[in-house]
Amino acid sequence: MKTIKKAMLAAALGLAVFSPGGAAQAESVIRIASPYPATTLDPSRSGAAGNIEVYGQLYSRLLRRNFETGELEPGLAEKWEAATDGMTYTLHLRDAKFSDGSPVTAEDVAFSLERVRSDKESALPSPLAAVESISAPDAKTVVIKMKHALAPMLANLELWNVGIVSKADVDKRGVDGAFNSVPLSSGPYMVKEWKPGEKLVLAPNPNYWRQGYPKSEASVELVEVAEPETAAAMLKTGEVDVMRGVNWAQIDDLKATDGIDMRMEPSNVIFVSLLNHGREPFSNLKARQAAAYALDNKALTQAVTSGYAKPANTPLPGSLQFHDDNYPGIVADMEKAKQLLAESGMAGKEVKIILGSGSTNQQIGLLMQAQWEAIGLKPVLVNVDTPGWWDATGKGEYDATPTWWMNEVTDPDLAVRWALCGECDSHAFNTFYNNKRVNELTEQGSREQDPAKRAAIYQEISKIATEEVSQIPLYYSPYAIAYSKRLKNLKMTPAMQWTLEETTIEQ
Amino acid sequence: MQTILRRIIQLIFVLAGICIVTFLLVHMVPGDPARVIAGDRASPETIEAIRQRFGLDQPLWQQFMTYAGNVFAGDIGQSMRYKRPVVALIGQYIWPTLFLTGYVVCLAVPPSIALAIASARRPGSLADQLIRFIGIAGMAIPVFWLGIMMSRFFGVGLGWFPVSGYGKTFADHLHHLFLPALSTAIWMVPVLVQSLRAALIEKASADFVVAARAQGAGEREIFWRTVLPNAILPTLNLFGVLVAFLIGGTIIVETVYAVPGLGTLMVNSLLARDYQVVQGLTLMFAVTTVVVTFLVDLLSAAIDPRARV
Repeated sequence: MKTIKKAMLAAALGLAVFSPGGAAQAESVIRIASPYPATTLDPSRSGAAGNIEVYGQLYSRLLRRNFETGELEPGLAEKWEAATDGMTYTLHLRDAKFSDGSPVTAEDVAFSLERVRSDKESALPSPLAAVESISAPDAKTVVIKMKHALAPMLANLELWNVGIVSKADVDKRGVDGAFNSVPLSSGPYMVKEWKPGEKLVLAPNPNYWRQGYPKSEASVELVEVAEPETAAAMLKTGEVDVMRGVNWAQIDDLKATDGIDMRMEPSNVIFVSLLNHGREPFSNLKARQAAAYALDNKALTQAVTSGYAKPANTPLPGSLQFHDDNYPGIVADMEKAKQLLAESGMAGKEVKIILGSGSTNQQIGLLMQAQWEAIGLKPVLVNVDTPGWWDATGKGEYDATPTWWMNEVTDPDLAVRWALCGECDSHAFNTFYNNKRVNELTEQGSREQDPAKRAAIYQEISKIATEEVSQIPLYYSPYAIAYSKRLKNLKMTPAMQWTLEETTIEQ
Repeated sequence: MQTILRRIIQLIFVLAGICIVTFLLVHMVPGDPARVIAGDRASPETIEAIRQRFGLDQPLWQQFMTYAGNVFAGDIGQSMRYKRPVVALIGQYIWPTLFLTGYVVCLAVPPSIALAIASARRPGSLADQLIRFIGIAGMAIPVFWLGIMMSRFFGVGLGWFPVSGYGKTFADHLHHLFLPALSTAIWMVPVLVQSLRAALIEKASADFVVAARAQGAGEREIFWRTVLPNAILPTLNLFGVLVAFLIGGTIIVETVYAVPGLGTLMVNSLLARDYQVVQGLTLMFAVTTVVVTFLVDLLSAAIDPRARV
């Protein structure tokens, strides 16, 4: 017994070293926990969520979106003129500086845009695909010449990847050197310290062109936390102030917690099930329709998201311009599904459903399996990790898979090119859907300047894709983010940008 | 001297084998690091350009020759994702892991020895039954679940300990890593107790103990000078394996408590197919395992002359 006492004493000693009470929060820091990692600080090189969120803090763009109204406003460009035929844009820069005090010149702008447009490793050149040339006739003027008129051109100059970086710095340190730890910043914040895989620490940029911003002196820590349980515990103990990516199942608990503001913020995110049009059974139109009629996405949305998301009616995000909320889409009908499958001749075929990680994918996958079994298909579930998922879908080695994507802007052009256009880069998001009419309409839509005509074009595209079941629309998901109530005016915009420069801390 | 030389030769073979096996394994798993780097929306041309830049478009054997050449020259490579040397990344992540490992050892060893002795003194007694029962319970609880429960109770509920991170100062480290270390120790103590208890019971009736008793040695002296040193050897070996395992295997507690350690780095790099980092870490784990076993052997030799070769 004496030895047990000794053991207990040892354990007690271990405890006694520490004084009770959480970590000190004295210094002014805004801490954000997110499961999405920052992996590169080069705005042209990655379109992953964790990076997009950071680019907006480090790099200003020619135009900016008002956080309140969502309207386009002057950014680094003070004013601009567009030629009436839409073939030339002339932008005039304001007096702005990088974080080291050096001026932001037209040369920097041309360099930054050119990297996005033509660098081989540019992650998303498509927003500038219609650009013929970018030039800097003088230090304050940028001229963009177009191959053809592009309706959303100005909006594309506000995208996450066209942030302005310093040409002189990239020339001096090289691409890797300039971006792998502390890049020069033209945005509201600059990098104080980056520990990859752990956290990115930002400090207010004293040379930011918007006078009086960021409103708070506080530095910002973007902390990577993979496990939602851990992030929720950190939020409750005050170790972080914001939790990005709250699980549906955690929402009610966080809502009931004192001092926490659990919010659903509008996004351009859509959850869909991809179908592989490249092989049987889903190369067959009726089999795809059968699969869609068998999935009651209203019930599915209720079951998976506890009703926090909105059932989707088309394969495009519902927040996009010209989206028709009243279009009924495909309304679930098991009898019709069985009948369509019988007509297709695909009954009894195996359907390989691949599932990425995360509870949402697992739940949707199980529901898909149950529904499709009921109409006479033979669904098989296979689990993969994210790179494995991209590998399988890219090679067309799957039949169906639940997934999500978001459009950076509310203009539908890029969304259609990504998810529905069979001749654009992505094979209609790896579904290999290819409809000639949709492809033609895609080109027409981006060139058309008349909003009413564009609306008609995009609604026709949505209708064709929905009826042909390019993908099965599941739901439109808001961002579920929990905030400490001591923060004021912090939110995430639909384009995945934090409004940190507006944020203040209430003591 | 000879032992050391033999160890080094052994190490070289082990490392060469590890190099080849990890290289093949990580490269054969489906998935493309370029996709993770550029993100979901990147076009096939972009992906191809990134693959070319990192030489991923070359035949596998050629990539391996380049890699082996670099390793031989002492360069274990660069992270494709972060564009930083693997050595620098390991340098960033290793301290929390080492601290955690040391902490676990400090928390686990004293109670293990105390409990094993208490248990082995009178096998079958109430104390023994109790210790064994609690031990089985400790081993049976999943570390993941235990971690979440402790963080909820001691962290969120009582506010005694932080539920994440590593802290800045030494006292901070102790404070931040207490729950992770305890979660791990709770699983480790029973394993050590079981091994040591069995050995103690076995050695207590060994011939040399009878001989010592016949020579007139006191019970206390017999236990400390004869039974314990003999019984501790197998447990010491087990302990070495566990410590080597901890350095790479604390991934579960690291995830639950968001500790930026090597386990986290390993999983992140695997999920990103950041080949060089995975290979570099595996090499490092291999070296660690060999070094720890070597140290255990040295220690065994110091305790038991028969273990000297």
